[in-house]
Order: sequence, then structure tokens, then C-alpha cells
Amino acid sequence: MITGIITFLVIFAVIGSILYGQRLAKTEKSDAVFGNPERAKGGVHWVIVGTSFLLLSWLYYSWDIAKAFYPKSANELCQVAKVNESLLSLKYLFPIEERHHKSTALIKRENINIQKKITIIQNSTDLKDKDKELFVKLLKKTQRTIPLLTDEKLLENETKDKIRDLTNRITWLTEDFQKISYPPIKSVEEENKRIEELKKQLGWGATGMEVPPLPESKRGLKFHTAAQELNKISDEFFSLRNHNPEYLKLLKEIREEIKKYKDSLDDSQELEITFIKEIKKLGQRIEYESVFPPNALDEMEKSIREFDVAQKSEQGNLIYIDALLFPAGTIVASGPTCAEDGPGRWLPKPSDTFRIFGDLLKPSVGFKMIPMIWYEMMGVNRIVGFILPDWIADVMPGKYPVHSADGTVKPNFKSKVLDVVTGEFKAFKIPVPTGHIWDSFLRVFLGLTLGIIFGVPLGLFMGLNRFAKGFFDPLVELYRPVPPLAWAPLVITVFGIDNLGKVFLLFMVSFSIMIISARAGASGTQLSKIHAAHSLGASRWQILREVIFPNSLPEILTGVRVAVGMCWGTLVAAEFLAGTSGIGFVENVARKYMQYEVIWITIFVMGMLGLLFDVTIRKIIDKTIPWRGKG
Amino acid sequence: MRKIISFILGTIVALNLSVSVANAAANEVRVAFFLEWATPNQEAKVKKTFDKALGVPVKWTNFATGGEMTEAMLSGDIDISYSQGLTPFVNAVNAKAPIKLVDIAVIYGMGGTTCVAAKGIDKGNASSKLDGQKVAVPLGTMADYVFKETMRVVGADISKMKVVDMNPEDGSAAFVNGDVAMACLFGGKSIKAAKEKGASLLTVKEAQDAGIAGIDITSVTNKFLKENPGMVRTFVEVTHEANARYNAGKADMNIIAKDAAMDLAGTKKQMGGFEFPNAGTMKSKYMNKGGILMTYLEVMGNMFATSENPALKDYAAVVDTSYLP
Repeated sequence: MITGIITFLVIFAVIGSILYGQRLAKTEKSDAVFGNPERAKGGVHWVIVGTSFLLLSWLYYSWDIAKAFYPKSANELCQVAKVNESLLSLKYLFPIEERHHKSTALIKRENINIQKKITIIQNSTDLKDKDKELFVKLLKKTQRTIPLLTDEKLLENETKDKIRDLTNRITWLTEDFQKISYPPIKSVEEENKRIEELKKQLGWGATGMEVPPLPESKRGLKFHTAAQELNKISDEFFSLRNHNPEYLKLLKEIREEIKKYKDSLDDSQELEITFIKEIKKLGQRIEYESVFPPNALDEMEKSIREFDVAQKSEQGNLIYIDALLFPAGTIVASGPTCAEDGPGRWLPKPSDTFRIFGDLLKPSVGFKMIPMIWYEMMGVNRIVGFILPDWIADVMPGKYPVHSADGTVKPNFKSKVLDVVTGEFKAFKIPVPTGHIWDSFLRVFLGLTLGIIFGVPLGLFMGLNRFAKGFFDPLVELYRPVPPLAWAPLVITVFGIDNLGKVFLLFMVSFSIMIISARAGASGTQLSKIHAAHSLGASRWQILREVIFPNSLPEILTGVRVAVGMCWGTLVAAEFLAGTSGIGFVENVARKYMQYEVIWITIFVMGMLGLLFDVTIRKIIDKTIPWRGKG
Repeated sequence: MRKIISFILGTIVALNLSVSVANAAANEVRVAFFLEWATPNQEAKVKKTFDKALGVPVKWTNFATGGEMTEAMLSGDIDISYSQGLTPFVNAVNAKAPIKLVDIAVIYGMGGTTCVAAKGIDKGNASSKLDGQKVAVPLGTMADYVFKETMRVVGADISKMKVVDMNPEDGSAAFVNGDVAMACLFGGKSIKAAKEKGASLLTVKEAQDAGIAGIDITSVTNKFLKENPGMVRTFVEVTHEANARYNAGKADMNIIAKDAAMDLAGTKKQMGGFEFPNAGTMKSKYMNKGGILMTYLEVMGNMFATSENPALKDYAAVVDTSYLP
């Protein structure tokens, strides 16, 4: 329902925005020539079109539109898929969807295989001539079994009858299938039982139900029943073998010869045993397959084709729904169950995705017992204990208390200081954020900040000082081009699987980017500006602070934007390697349990967080360097 | 504007027509397998017995986890997964993936998959000592199952531990470093490395008594089953022949060790903990109604069920014994 309304809204938004955009282009008086950035300003309506277009593609390719407008279509298509599945093996015998008859392809392949084997045997240097002769003779005999199977005259009446019987059953089914009364109601009890079970069935896309398998409509029931009948026919056909007495006689002869030969061998003659086994397998392979004379199955093929035409026409508007609303895939059946195959499987429907996202956001649910983003109450003491280093207590005058004779410990000033710096005191609690999203955010934020704090001064220094440039250049340039992920296993081994390792990895990423951009900024400062400041009496510090730093700010801030993107990419991969929390961890676990909705949620959240970072930095850029591009 | 619209429409049409490409006529069989997981049919693999028996080339691709095998089967790149763990298989069928179980590949005790705990932690004190500690577990694999079962046996509470999701190689490294108090692992090298700094929480015998065993299976995509039932039968048959050869002590261990990327001693030790039952045993003891495999499927199916992918009502629908020789 909601999806349907949204679909219409989105379509209206697109049409409206396009019309508005065209009118605007007509009425607007603009003398900006091509290439003038003024021409790219504004245009919120195009943002609407872009966003709507994305949403529309998502709705369409996840088959959510099909679900909104034809909620029963999946169930009906599931029944059609059952028919297709039961026909699959039979169809595969004939050139309906393939190029050749299966028998043709098989005979062609086996003739080649036998020829190849003969060549190998004749060229073998290890085999005795006597064995060679026997092997070739056996292979030729095996080859002679093929015409016995394909000879029309040798086909037994019993087999013929069976084929005719199966063909008739398909033809009858085709006739019945087109009748309105099909399938006939067997008994009232069974019908009631069926209706009872239908009531229990969940809808398409409900939690834990991908596609409801039991037929819900009359048309569905028709296909469902036909599929059952076809399955029986198919099973009976494939248990049928064209083993006429002539063939069996020759096969027995070959078998006996093989057995006789094998009995004459002892265990040490490995090579001979292998060869004889392979020859036996070749014969077996032909024996197992359904090989028939070229025209024996013509009637059957015709009946299958007829049924195929009938079932296609019975599908009615389902064919169009399938083609239009189930793009790039369809519903497939596997035994009694059905599943979405194509984008419907890996591209979750927006409605499902947001429902599950809503569930995950509930702090009591979360993912793997950790909420996505929530808060927990934390005592101020723990924060104090984390920030203040423990050695403060050690450098205090005096000694730590020793227990007294009566078995008590009396605290003194030094131990009280220790309690404060380790956070062992009572304090009020404040809420702090927690959860997967917060963890990932914090890691990126810390890595980035550390990178900026250390990278920018060093970069500026390297841009201004010959020693610094020469000394640090090899170090930075050697580790910078290595993809950060290549460092991941090492960093995780050295710094552990906790936050420290991940933050360090992100620091490495942002550090090198900040160095490069700060250095480029510093060395790109116009000399005239430095000279002007110098002649006005500026000190070194003042030149650095007032001239060089502001001049390199555009480069530095662009560097920050690049670093944010790199940091996100690296973080997710690092959380893949060793994770207890974080977005990457969620995605990796979801992948293992095939929870595609959750995977898309993580991708969505990462995109949003990246956007948030980027928008923030863009705001900072606008505030701090408004002169950029205007100098 | 017109150009843009026609481009977009063209793209949509192209996308809609791109229904997944079918593997027509099976010119080759694509099989997934594990390294460091020695099985008798690797001898047949190296000697090309499979290719000869099937009459078409067999392409073997190695994978790191069973979950990745499922992904490849769903995208149509793999036809048969040999020795997929039961856990990833259960996760796949819970998610309605169109694959079926046709054969048991390996039955193994805790020698192949085990939880190694740091020194000082044994099964007696694990319930208290593991509280609040970090443990490395490759989630969604057989090791995850062994982890849950082992914790049940020693009476430890999983919700009080911090489970770190790590592949066996990483988990073993983290354990050696002391980053985690316990690591649940599979694979010969990983377990060997971890055991230098700790010991298995349960011995092979104890695990066996508690009913913990690993089962690796052979799974096949539905499409391949329907189109080439003969090939599946031959594949299973050749595997069973290789198993029989191994069970009779005739297998060439050097070839197996080399193909499994392990040393000879390690291979022998690993395979010593493996069991390759014959078809009769499978049908009468494992894959029959109420058999060991069916019970496992149900227990695991419920253990790893999520709200979106709940356990199946009947796992017999995804098991097909008709391909056993």
C-alpha cells in the first residue's frame, strides 16, 4: 500500500521536476557562456529527479512494485515455476531450449571419448601388446553397443508401449489443463484441509517467508496440480531404460571379458587395473543414460511442445507481469518451495529493508546483542580514570599503604590519588553513545583526527625544510603507495584486534594523505606573499601562521575530504578481518547468514555517514577559506 | 535530453533481458573444494579419474569457507560443492537457496574442528574463566557450531563472552598473540599453530561422547541435478570408489598431501580423524528418517535460524539419497 503510494509520488515528482526544469530553462535569462561555473549553480529540482530515479530503480529492480500492485503474482509465478521445474529434465532431452537432442550430444561425445581412449592405449609405452589388443577390442565392442540402443528395429515393444503411455498422459494432461474444471476436486475433506493450510500461510515477503509456496488462486492450483502429475511422468520416464536383449547380451559379454581379465591380474598391475576400470566406466556411462532411437521420442517431444504452448497460454497476463514487473529474473521452484532468483534475491525490497532497519535500530534487538546506535550510562569516574594517566599517583610523595596487624588497610593520600586516576570513586553518570554505528564513526574520527594532528605539521615542515624533506621523504613515500589493507594483517598482529589496531590503520591512511596535501600546500605558496610579509617585519612564526598555513588550507582541506573516503574503505575491510562491533562487522556476519537486507542496510548507513562527514567538511571549507578559487 | 532518456531506456531493456546465463549442455563440471582438508578423492582428482568417468573436463576451484561456495553456486559459477560444511549448507537452505545435499563427504571428530583455549582454562573452570573474555570464532561455519556445542557442554554462557568474528588463520594468530582467550578453528595448520599456546577444551573422545561431530557434505545446484543426473551419480560413485580405496589402505597419500597443500605427516594425522562411510552405512545410519545427519540438520537449522531465514519444517526436502551408488 505505502509502496504503491510512494511509487506514484516518485513518478509525479520526476515528471513535475522535469517540466519545471524545462520551463525554467526557457524563462531564465542567462548570459553565462558554456564553461562558466555559474551555469551549474542551483537546480534542486534535478536533485529531486536524481533521487527519485534512484528510488524508482530500487523499487523496480527489487520487485517491490510487483509486490505492491500484484501481491499475489509471486505465488502464482511460483506455481508456474513448479511446472517449469518438472518439465526441465524432459525438455532437456529435446532440442527445445538446447541445440541438440540429449542423445545426439551424448553419442557424439562418447564416440570422441572412445576414439581418444583408443589412441591413448595404442600410444602407451607401458602396456603390453596383448593387453593393448584386448583393450581396443573391448572399446570397439563398447562402441558397438551404441547402435544397438539407437536402432529403431531393436526397440522393444514394452518400451515402446511405455513411451506411448507416457506420451498419452502428457497429451491428456494438456487437454484437461485447458478446461476450467481442472483440477477436479478429489474430496471435501482434502479440499478443507487445503483451505486450512492456506490460512496458515504467510504472505510474500513476510518475515521468514520469501515466496508462499501453496497455491492461493484457482490458476495457481491448476499449475500446482499439473506440476505434480508432470513430476510423476518425468520420474517414470527417467527410470525407463532402452535396454533391449541384444544390447544386454553384448553388455554382458563385455562385462564377462572385463571380469575375466581383471581376475587374471594381481594387485601390483596398477596400470592395467586403471585402464580396465576406465573402459568399464565408459560402458556404464552409456548404460545409465537415456539413449533412444532417433525418432522413437518424436511423439513425446510433440506432446511436450504442445503442453508448453498450452501452459503459456494458460498463464495469461502472468507472462506480462513476469516480463515487466520481475525484471532480470523470475521466481524459481525447487521441489515444494519457491525462491526469488535474480535481483529480487540480492536486492531487498525497500519496504523490507526499512522494516528490518527499524527492527535493528531498536536497542533491545540490535545485531549480535549490540545495538546499532544507542546510549549507555557511564560514570564520570571511568572517563576520568581513562584520561588521567596512572603514574600521577606514583610520583606523589609518600608510600602506598601497607595492611596493618588487625587485617585492615587504611588509605592515605597517595592511595586516594591512585583511586582518582584509576577511576575508583563514586560519581554521577552521563549518557555516552554506543553501538555499531558509533563504534565505526569513532574509529574513523579518531584515525582522521590523529592523522591531521601529526600529518599537517610534518607536511608543512617537509614543504619548508630541506632536512625534513630529505629525511622523511623515503619513509613516507615507501609506505604511502602500499594499499592500507596490505598492512592490516601486520597491524592487527602488532596492535591487537581491539580498537587500537584499527585506529592505527586508519591513522596510517590519513597521515600520509595529510602529509602530501600539507606539503603541496606549503610549497605552493606564492613567494611574493612571503616576501611581502617579510618586508613588513613578520617573524618566522608569523609568516608560517599568517601566510603559509592559510595558503595551504585549501589543499589540506581537500586532503581531509580524500582521507575520509579512504578511511571508510579501510575501516570496513579492517572490521571484516577481526570484528566485535562496527558496520563492517555487521556486513560480514550478515553475508555469512545470507541476510541481504542487512547487507544493504550497512551499505546505506556507510553511504550516509560518508555523506555526513563530507557535508561537514564542505561547510568547514566554505567557512574557513571563502576565498578559494577567487585568487 | 532525448539522448539521455533513450540511453536510460536502452539500459533498462538490456538489464531486463539479462536473465542469468544458463550452463547449457554441461561441457564441463565445476566443482568447489577446500585446501588443507585432505580427502581420498583428491587422488582421483589429480589422476583425472573424474574427468575420465564423467566424459567432460572437471574444473576444481578452492574456497576458503563453505559460505563462499554457496555464493558461487547461486551465481552459477559452481555446480557441485564437495566437502561443504553442514553449517553453511544449513544457512543456505534456510535462505531458500536452490541446492540439495546428495552425499556425505567427511565425518570428522574434534580433530578437524575444535576450540583451543589458553593455558589455565580447562573444561572444569571454563564457565567462570571465559566470562567477559574475547573468543575468536569464524561465524556461520562448522567451527561456530562446535563453539556453541562446546560451550553448552562445559556450561559456559556465550552471551557473557565477546565473540570476535575471525577466519581460522587470523583467529589462530590472534590466539597465539594472546589477544583472545579461546579460538575455535578448523584446518590443520591453524589448529596446530594454536595448540602450541593452548589445548583443546574437549578431547576428541569427550566431544564424541557429547555428540559433537562434524559432517561435511556434497551439495549440488538444483539446475545441475535436473539436467545432468547421470553426471552427479558418476561424481558420487567415483568419490565413493576413492573412499573405498582409502579405507582399504590403498590410497596414495603423497598425492593427496600434495594436492591438499599439506605435509605427509599432517595429512595422515588429519585423515586419521576422518571417517568416510560407505553408501550402505549412509543410507541406514545417517540419511534415513531420524538418522544422524537428519538430526544434525534439524538441530543446526534451528541453531542458526534468523528471523528472516527461519529453520525449515522438514529438512528431508533438501536431502536426496538417490544418487548414492
